[in-house]
Amino acid sequence: MLGHDGSFGYIKAVELAASSSIIHKRTGYLLCSACLAPSHEFRFMLVNQMQRDLSSSSILEICASLIAVTSIITGDMVPAMQSLVLKMLDHNSEIVRKKAIIAMHRFHQLAPESVEKQELVEKLRKVICDRDPSVMGSSLNVIESMAAVDPKPFKELVASLISILKQIIEHRLPTDFEYHRVPAPWIQMKIIRILAALGKNDSNASNGMYEILGETMKKADVGINAGYAVVYECVRTITCIYPNSTLLDAAADAISRFIQSKSQNLKYFGVTGLAAIVESHPQYAEAHQMSVIECLEDRDETLQRRTLDLLYKMTNPVNVQFITGKLLDFLRGTTDSFLKEDLTTKVCSLAERYAPNNLYVETITELFAISGEFVSQEVSQQLMTLIAEGAGEDEDADADTILRQHSVTIYADLLEKPIAKLPQLLIETMAWVLGEYAYLSADYTLEEILNKLCELVRKGKQLKESTRKIIVTSIMKLVAQAGTCPPQAAKIIDDFSKSKNQDLQQRCIEFQNLITCAPHMLGEVLPVDASCEDIQVDPDLSFMDAYVSQAIANGAKQYENLDDDDDDDDYDLTGSAKASVFKMTPYAKPTAPGASYTSSSMGGVGSNSPHIAGTGGAPPSGSYNHSQHNGITSANTTAPANEPQLNVRNVANVWGKKPANLPTSTPIAPEPGNFSAPVPAPVPSNNWSTTTSSYSTQQTSQPPSESVKTEEQLRKERMAAALFGGSAPSNAPGIARRRAPRTTVAAPVAPTLAPVQAAPTGPAPVVLPPTHPAPAPAPVVDLLDFMDDSTPIQTSAALDVDVLAPSPIEPAPVADPIHEEPAVPTKPDDPFAASGLFDGFSDAPLSSLQADSTFEHNGQSLVPLTITTAQFGEKWGSVPHASPISTPSSKCTTLDSFMDVCKSVGLYNIEAIPATNEGICGGMVGGTELVLIHGKISGSGISTKVDVTIKSTDATLGRCLAMYMQNLIR
Amino acid sequence: MISFILMVNKQGQTRCSKYYEWLPMEERTALEAEIIRKCLSRSELQCSFIEYRGYKTIYRRYASLFFIVGTRPDPLSIENGSGVGGENRENELGLLEFIHNLVEIMDKWAGSICELDIMYQLEEVHFILDEMVMNGFIVETCKGATLRPIDLLERESRKGEAMFK
Repeated sequence: MLGHDGSFGYIKAVELAASSSIIHKRTGYLLCSACLAPSHEFRFMLVNQMQRDLSSSSILEICASLIAVTSIITGDMVPAMQSLVLKMLDHNSEIVRKKAIIAMHRFHQLAPESVEKQELVEKLRKVICDRDPSVMGSSLNVIESMAAVDPKPFKELVASLISILKQIIEHRLPTDFEYHRVPAPWIQMKIIRILAALGKNDSNASNGMYEILGETMKKADVGINAGYAVVYECVRTITCIYPNSTLLDAAADAISRFIQSKSQNLKYFGVTGLAAIVESHPQYAEAHQMSVIECLEDRDETLQRRTLDLLYKMTNPVNVQFITGKLLDFLRGTTDSFLKEDLTTKVCSLAERYAPNNLYVETITELFAISGEFVSQEVSQQLMTLIAEGAGEDEDADADTILRQHSVTIYADLLEKPIAKLPQLLIETMAWVLGEYAYLSADYTLEEILNKLCELVRKGKQLKESTRKIIVTSIMKLVAQAGTCPPQAAKIIDDFSKSKNQDLQQRCIEFQNLITCAPHMLGEVLPVDASCEDIQVDPDLSFMDAYVSQAIANGAKQYENLDDDDDDDDYDLTGSAKASVFKMTPYAKPTAPGASYTSSSMGGVGSNSPHIAGTGGAPPSGSYNHSQHNGITSANTTAPANEPQLNVRNVANVWGKKPANLPTSTPIAPEPGNFSAPVPAPVPSNNWSTTTSSYSTQQTSQPPSESVKTEEQLRKERMAAALFGGSAPSNAPGIARRRAPRTTVAAPVAPTLAPVQAAPTGPAPVVLPPTHPAPAPAPVVDLLDFMDDSTPIQTSAALDVDVLAPSPIEPAPVADPIHEEPAVPTKPDDPFAASGLFDGFSDAPLSSLQADSTFEHNGQSLVPLTITTAQFGEKWGSVPHASPISTPSSKCTTLDSFMDVCKSVGLYNIEAIPATNEGICGGMVGGTELVLIHGKISGSGISTKVDVTIKSTDATLGRCLAMYMQNLIR
Repeated sequence: MISFILMVNKQGQTRCSKYYEWLPMEERTALEAEIIRKCLSRSELQCSFIEYRGYKTIYRRYASLFFIVGTRPDPLSIENGSGVGGENRENELGLLEFIHNLVEIMDKWAGSICELDIMYQLEEVHFILDEMVMNGFIVETCKGATLRPIDLLERESRKGEAMFK
């Protein structure tokens, strides 16, 4: 309240709700719903009042209560109100009913356990058929919200929804529902949205929707925003449901009008609509390349964001580089953390989707640099796995090497930059990659990188312990690889051997011992490129059996489990940081009791029995440095040995491929007195799993627009080319990426446009009535450049029929296209008789007055066809089109009079069979079209009935003749 | 679903605010201030939609007053993660027209609506909104059906006053 705390007044609001005046009551409820937090205890004080109001006889009080219910009630109050609200669904007043259904939905949202879904669905089925459109409209909200989660229970509503929508678009709702002459636009939108949810991945349900969607779209397109909103909703639904090509074309058409619109709002819709459609049908994007580019550069941020969304959805392997580049550009320029998060996820998913790709390393690296805080651990994990394992399937060793080399170059360059700005994760990844693969670097020697890493640790006072550990481990790895230990490295390791961090200290001391006592073992402890290899661990310590039995034979005590021996100093030391953590589960019982041992120098161990397995270059710091506790006799030191082993497995599973069963040194029984740690296990510090990458501008793929700054238009075209599947920018880092070099900018655009233009001309000749060659759709033909060819071909094809079908008996093949247009009684063989066409048709009834006139069709008269009954029988079956007439007749009361009529029309009387009162006749029009007639007279006198079947090779001809004869006979 | 409807003037003073999901008071003020700042910074030539803090916001300006509708994906579909899950399926243009419809209705109710009408009859504006939007859903868009209960309410209260006098 004006910046002050108004909570002192809340109690007054509650009192107000109990007032007898309805205005006061509403105001009280209003205040409570606006001000009381969900946890506020006053909410409970209102329950009673709401119940009382619900049972009131006044509609207004019930409404007040229902409105309050949706905003005041909480989950545990639902049972108190439920039954009362349920009753309101059958209330007389529609105002109450429409509120009650929303309240029920609210209950379902709050307490799904007390308002069963099934029950609600039943209610909804009833409510949607309510006689009041408002109630139906409000129930749609509930259906929409529930169908989006689970469409199944609503599938059977599709038919009713369609019929409702039909009624709406036919303006059958009261005029009050119209908004600027659009009938109930919001209800329309809701229904269409529900249809989308119901028709998704369901061709059955979708089938029924096609027609109504097309119609709705057509009717809504009235040029105002409310109409466009409905059209847009249709577009979204069309792209969502089981695809239908006609509708998709219509949707694409609507989108293209939106996107080319001057209005920014409609442009926005064009872009979102396009994003919806390209996901499943990328071909529609091509037509709008330039518009998309313009939207991307629009000054309106909202539009830009939508366009990025569109780009994200139309990514393919060709344009992925350009698009991620764009997304990263945008990411760099924004401060909105929601957008940053969203974009980061998008970039990650893009990079992953097209993962085995050099781009991946760069992209993720840059992503870290820009918005490291939003990058999830899995992403970094994946990056390192990718670098370690290589692209995968085909064991393409060269490509892997190149990839690693490339990453090393990126990270080595990154070392030059001030580290203060880099996120810790990035530094960790960088250190790991350098430690593993620095030897691949072309630009730097191992020593140089080593020096840089040393520098990094020395200067990095602000580095986290975990990061420092990883860098030090990397240094150790590099020393092992280089074979020499430069003084800086030695100094650092020496420094850290006094570190307060036990883990780090241990790592350093171990390493010092290794390097002084057994330099030749270094390669084995820290092997090159073995991070993917599994470490085999013997949890039973079976290699100790011989030693143990010997010790027992020598009179040593049997091992006793001393779990609770926690005052042992040695325990803490050996367990390092981990062992001090309180453990809820007891350690596994060691099977082989270690009686006593004295650890000597590691050199002795190494020379005799290589217990140290190939640990894949993982830091050896987790191992127990027994050289530190000389002559300790402790049984339980062996116990914690199980712990790092478990962790080793975890690490191996995260990093490596499948267990590769690599040759691990099977431990031989050690000589007495020479006991060393069973395994130098890597320390699975949590930070290890996270990654970072580096950020290197010079390596970033530049969009082509930046590489060549020529005139604006050209630049945009290039962008379009890069975007729309043409080619990718060519100045990307020259790593083994097989990509067709782009020669011209226009090239990729042109071929895509050509088919688009060509498309309409394909069907065009079919649509064209052959009788109207002149008004061919000129603009289309113009574009095509073969106007001269297309139309004449059409005409000649039609004329050819005469020549090609000399046999008058065979049905002419050209007849078929004409069936589809029965309204045009056209004959393909006479394209120039257009004017005579309709005359022939409409003259038919008129000419019936003149009994003697023969039948004419398209200006050609019917001539008798002289054949025998047997021939007639043969052809009867082959003639396709039958036009039956059945009419009472006053003129043809006998067979003879019928045959006379036939003769007068111009038919040949083949045979008259007086016994059955049947007759057959034959005729021909224009030398090609065949007419066969079978007539039967039944009854006599006034009740005479004539049944005639006219069969003809041409459907139009048959129909015309039938009509003609009917007039003659009647 | 609709998460909030705001009426804010050019000076950034909120004249009416209605929230359909709970937000603490401090957050409301911050949100209102930031959104109106964003709206003011946009020109006529830009589209009427802003994405802000995960809300899809639609605004429309009438003289000095901004009508702002904020939407968010349906909470139910987010939780379940299925269906259209998480994606905001609101039709922006539909809501833009809804704002206009609201203004037309208010115009009919107050004769010729102005900022002062909203300021001094705030509860009535809320009642109108209550009729039109419930629980974040648009339930009523007819002018007649929306104003009828308001009219009834007014008559009822006048009766009450008469009884007291």
